[in-house]
Amino acid sequence: MAFDYQLRETTSDAGVPKVDFSHCREMAPYLDEPLAMYVGAPGKHGYLRLGFEIDPRGKCILRDLDRRAPLIVQQALYFDKEMPEMPCVYILSSGGPNVEGDRYQQDITMRKDSFAFVTTGAATKIAEMEHNYSGMVQNLVLEENTYLEFMPEPVYPCKHARFISDTSITIDESATLFYSEIYMGGRKYYNEGELFQYDILSVCCHAKRPDGTPLFREKFIIRPEEVNPRQLGIMGQYDVFANVIVLTPPEKSDRIYKDINPFIDKENKIACGITHLPNNAGLLFKVVGMEPGPVKAIVRDFLNSVRQVVKGHKLPEEFPWR
Amino acid sequence: MRLLQFTDSTFPVGTFSFSNGLETAGFENMVYDKATLRDFVKSQSLQAAYTDGIAALAAHRAYLRGDYKAIVEADKTLILCKMNDEARQMLQRMGKKLAELASRLFNSELVTKWLQGIKSADTPGTYPVAQGIAFAAAGIDEKDLFCSHQYGVVNMVLSAALRCIRVSHYDTQEILYEMSSDMEALYEKVKVMGIDEMNAFFPELDILASLHEKGNMRMFMN
Repeated sequence: MAFDYQLRETTSDAGVPKVDFSHCREMAPYLDEPLAMYVGAPGKHGYLRLGFEIDPRGKCILRDLDRRAPLIVQQALYFDKEMPEMPCVYILSSGGPNVEGDRYQQDITMRKDSFAFVTTGAATKIAEMEHNYSGMVQNLVLEENTYLEFMPEPVYPCKHARFISDTSITIDESATLFYSEIYMGGRKYYNEGELFQYDILSVCCHAKRPDGTPLFREKFIIRPEEVNPRQLGIMGQYDVFANVIVLTPPEKSDRIYKDINPFIDKENKIACGITHLPNNAGLLFKVVGMEPGPVKAIVRDFLNSVRQVVKGHKLPEEFPWR
Repeated sequence: MRLLQFTDSTFPVGTFSFSNGLETAGFENMVYDKATLRDFVKSQSLQAAYTDGIAALAAHRAYLRGDYKAIVEADKTLILCKMNDEARQMLQRMGKKLAELASRLFNSELVTKWLQGIKSADTPGTYPVAQGIAFAAAGIDEKDLFCSHQYGVVNMVLSAALRCIRVSHYDTQEILYEMSSDMEALYEKVKVMGIDEMNAFFPELDILASLHEKGNMRMFMN
């Protein structure tokens, strides 16, 4: 009986969904084929499908897993001391950095009442590019009363990197999603420093209810050659940027909002702000700073507040190696 | 003369009540002179161009086609893409005022329908969309609309600057004059973009807006 409810791993031959951003105007200069392996060649088209659900014993498990190289997920671990019942998943990439012509898709479904923590094993480097770009599609589906903490490690765009992502969220009004992204200006300590020397970062995140009602749509396009990110109002003096979206019912978002105090700390060169998303969808939290460590610490503090309001548990201490 | 009428800062939609975060930027000592004010205004201008500007042009074109559905779509998309709570409130407050005024100025079925849509909460009623409709109804072309909208954003911040930053009238006029030379190129970039292409990356402005939203400084409404 128990066997029925173990991990259901599938690797169908039907192929993986196509990831194509050629319709996006901002990518038009970067559509030429790479000279080495072609766009979406085996090993360059990562796919991941994760499905979490509550099994008949009442345990939350990673039920579905489909993966294609270079993306790897092995199994769910239960390492969170404060929520030992929560499956935790590391997404790894066997390919190292994202390179030109790479395509990725990550689909995560949270079935009714399930909860999970998903992160990456290490920072994601977007390698230097000459042809084409690296693109990623994500589809997150959160059914009734589900809870997902999605907090990957920072993204490092190298010189001339081109990266585009589109994250589509479908969320029931009773569910909570904590979704964070941290973008470095680049490899700050590589050679003379490589800050804001990438070609383009285009990042879009949008959400809707299961009936199709749109909630919000945030898109940012950063082209350092065209508009200097150092301009006051954009990044100014800061090197690291974190964007956190929290979709949660209004009574919870009001409680979280009340507890968070935005600040600009001139001495430590770090700042954060919070606001309500449109359509009572939840909150938007932003952090800028100089180094990934302090920015991550603030994002984790914020997650701690969210988790306490939504789940009544605090966040465990961060592992010393993270 | 109509272009000047709709662009004038005394046009009764309440632009004088807003500073677009400048009040907080001044308090935090991020904007303190002409050079920092110029950068701040440039960021505001770009942020508005790639969100509000796109919506205004879409509404202008939709009005000329008699396409009410497309007006509402531009209006709703703009609200979806406005991440800052106070900015959404500002756009809706000014939009409703302009819609009310427009319904008196123009004998237009579309304008009346749109005002009804705002009152019944079928459409959010944002200011850039109201501008698009009003300019089209007044027979002003879309390039003038874009420049007038940009002037409104830039002048709103510069007028506020005279009240909360140590700059002179000479400084603000020089910034305004300098920025007008960028408008042609900015319009050329924005005019080809659809409402699904709205985008903004201004984390510092967002954080300033958030500080104002939760803070005690209330000379301006944002």
